[in-house]
Amino acid sequence: MTRMLTLGVALLAAALPAVGQVAPERVALTGVRILPISGPAIDKGTILIERGRIAAVGEDVEVPFDARVFELDGRTVMPGLIDVHTWRGMDQPNETRPVTPQLDVYDAIDPSQLFFEDSLRLGVTAIHVMPGDNTVVGGLGRVVRPIGRTLGEMTIAPGSFLKLAVAPKGGFDRMMQMSTLREAFAKLSDELGKLAEARYEEDRKEKDEPVDVVPDEARKRGVKLIRVEDLTDETRNLLRLTGGAVTVGDETGEPLLDPLGAFVHCARAMDVAPAIQIARDNGFFDRLVLVLGPECFKAIPELKKAARPVVLVGDLTHRETDPLTGKVRETFVPRKYADAGLMFSLLPGPSSSLPERMLTYQAARCVRGGVGRDVALRAITSHPAETLGLGDQLGSIEVGRAAHLVVFTGDPLDFNSVVERVFIDGIPAYDRARDVRLQRLLSFQETNAEETPE
Amino acid sequence: MNARNALLGLLLAGLSAAAVADEPAGMAFRVAKVVSMDRSETVHNDAIVLVQGGRITQIGKPGEVTIPEGFTRHEHPEAWLVPGLIDCHNHTAGTLSDLNDMIYQTNPGLNTRAAIEPENDNIKEARTGGVTSVLLIPGSGTNMSGFGTISKTGGKTPDEVIVRSPGSLKIAQSGNPEWYFGGNSRRFMNWNTRQTLLKAKAYHEAWEAFEQGETTVEPAHNPIFEDFRGLFRKEYPASVHTQAYQVLLTTVDMLSLQLGIWTVLDHCTFDAWKVGPIVAASDCWTINGPRQYQFDRTAARMIGNASGWWKNGVRKLGINTDAPVVPQRELSYQATMACWYGWQPYPALKGVTSIPAEALGVYDRVGSIEAGKDADFGIWTGNPLDPRSACLKTIVDGKVVYDAAKSIRRF
Repeated sequence: MTRMLTLGVALLAAALPAVGQVAPERVALTGVRILPISGPAIDKGTILIERGRIAAVGEDVEVPFDARVFELDGRTVMPGLIDVHTWRGMDQPNETRPVTPQLDVYDAIDPSQLFFEDSLRLGVTAIHVMPGDNTVVGGLGRVVRPIGRTLGEMTIAPGSFLKLAVAPKGGFDRMMQMSTLREAFAKLSDELGKLAEARYEEDRKEKDEPVDVVPDEARKRGVKLIRVEDLTDETRNLLRLTGGAVTVGDETGEPLLDPLGAFVHCARAMDVAPAIQIARDNGFFDRLVLVLGPECFKAIPELKKAARPVVLVGDLTHRETDPLTGKVRETFVPRKYADAGLMFSLLPGPSSSLPERMLTYQAARCVRGGVGRDVALRAITSHPAETLGLGDQLGSIEVGRAAHLVVFTGDPLDFNSVVERVFIDGIPAYDRARDVRLQRLLSFQETNAEETPE
Repeated sequence: MNARNALLGLLLAGLSAAAVADEPAGMAFRVAKVVSMDRSETVHNDAIVLVQGGRITQIGKPGEVTIPEGFTRHEHPEAWLVPGLIDCHNHTAGTLSDLNDMIYQTNPGLNTRAAIEPENDNIKEARTGGVTSVLLIPGSGTNMSGFGTISKTGGKTPDEVIVRSPGSLKIAQSGNPEWYFGGNSRRFMNWNTRQTLLKAKAYHEAWEAFEQGETTVEPAHNPIFEDFRGLFRKEYPASVHTQAYQVLLTTVDMLSLQLGIWTVLDHCTFDAWKVGPIVAASDCWTINGPRQYQFDRTAARMIGNASGWWKNGVRKLGINTDAPVVPQRELSYQATMACWYGWQPYPALKGVTSIPAEALGVYDRVGSIEAGKDADFGIWTGNPLDPRSACLKTIVDGKVVYDAAKSIRRF
């Protein structure tokens, strides 16, 4: 029994590393090849971490006497990989009801899911958990680290994006989808009008003055009187999405709510224009991120004009069969975005294929498909960081950035390389030599080999 | 305690006084051992326990206790006298069709008080296993299925059996209610449950403000939220159907830490024991069951749930049956299983007597053998956790409600 529990706790410890423990104040990674992403590679250098942040990077960095030193000669260090859009880590991706701006993935993220441990094992240090694509308005996401026992310990940034979909939800057609989406915003405007009118009337009553204007005018005059506590979760989140189209605040008009952005799912090229339009119409174009299915590359002229960050979901290769000739035409999708100069982020592949789950594999495929190596690496690090508005925190190795670092045994895009260590905010979060579950998996294979008859 | 409960108390007192008039003067139990489960955890060996007027009046050595004249003597010099077992999670208030009224995703206005059928077969069966008090709660078909009732297993009418109503508020965090309304996820359910509780809390606070003279505007009366006032005054707990890691984490976070509700975590199965350190640091009570073990796929081992909780620092730990999922009379056997999978017998026995009484806030009346407390106990051939032991007699409110020698074994 004791052994059983020890093992259980050991496995748990592997899954949920030492967040509760105090991370070493200073950590130094010496003798490493550094891929800072934001600048040229350093062939042999040192990274110094202080209190979870990168304090120094370079060939000649003095290591303080009290630093916890990892001598990693011959290894390569790059910024922690970022999974910019996934529903994994929750119990299920979508709600049956179509419009749920009030919901937050906070209520469903399960820190104990193997998904987080697997992400860590593959070098992912930040995960943007989002509602799924089968929705109209899906609610708030959240950026988390794959370590921690609770959401509090895991959270890097609470929800700053709502999930929207222009591609139709199951059972909806595109007209129904767009009509439901427009209706959500119309309802918001109506809701705010009602609140404004009620507050205006209340204000007049307190001042012992008659309400001597028509409702339309009362709705205009009362806008400044709306209080944050008047807003339901639905109204508040949609209002934040429209980003101050209505000033909500105290008497000074100081905005009390942070604006929200949106990840808008487009399955096909025909979805791109409506997505851009709805963002422009409702004041969140500047905070728009487009989540694009493979065929969307056909809308690149519109995307180029919009110049908003995009996230590529689905297969990286798009195949089409000509109905007349039967000829198959293949397009390697990321190449199109790279050539167009758009900021795109890669995701782990949709299939259960093992390599596609690795962001480094996806980036390597880009290189093979003609995308520049630098761009391919940015698509799994700095691009997602900037897309999430965390470019000053994550995605590159620079002084002042959070110390999210992955140590590979060789070049990250070489398929023979494996993740050896991961540091998250300076915490030594993963060590392959102490990965209990991986050792079990590997030892199992070895045992089988021994049992093979001679 | 609100006026209704006080009235109920008076009614109960009146009834038991009336009943006593027909009873013999009292009873004396001569036993080999009394595992008292009092605060100092006394074990009386070779003891006599006197019962009068439905209460325990005295515990002592045969030489020290004078048995008053007219008392019925129960001679069990080789038996154990153990506090009546208590289950925090029982669905056998009446018929199973009364288990769930699935009207909305949360149903704050319901109460099992309306569905209690004393002396139903499940309750009679409970007595054969030395169980004397149960919390009758609605099911987990929706996220909030109404208030439960703490009830004795002996007595003919609802007023006779009820210990406290409301006993607790039943909440089902996840793992069943998502099937209602065609598949809501935890995102919607948790948001929705929180909304209902926030509305109830706002109702309570509005009335508090009015009653304390902070405002002269009387809030509108809403019978649906009336029982929540006691919940937010911490007069009774919420019993929460909660099990896997994230689900249990949500319960501790939402109910206990954020809303300050007195929280009893029911089930606590699968890998939930891994939340142990967080639960141990909270005010929550943990009542494990009916599953007593989990097959941990990653470790490829059986893990004892109660043992997992105990070894992770949780001491406010008890056991349930989820009757009729596991028959109520097998509560002791649930504790036996918990020990088989790594827990220890003494804390496990506490886990079916004093711990559930404390978790529900009724330890002042039941859950231990002390002078002044309700005469609720079982006479056992030995340690109730030993599966070879049998319950010989069950006493509720000073009345023998089960006697193995006289009963035809129905179960």
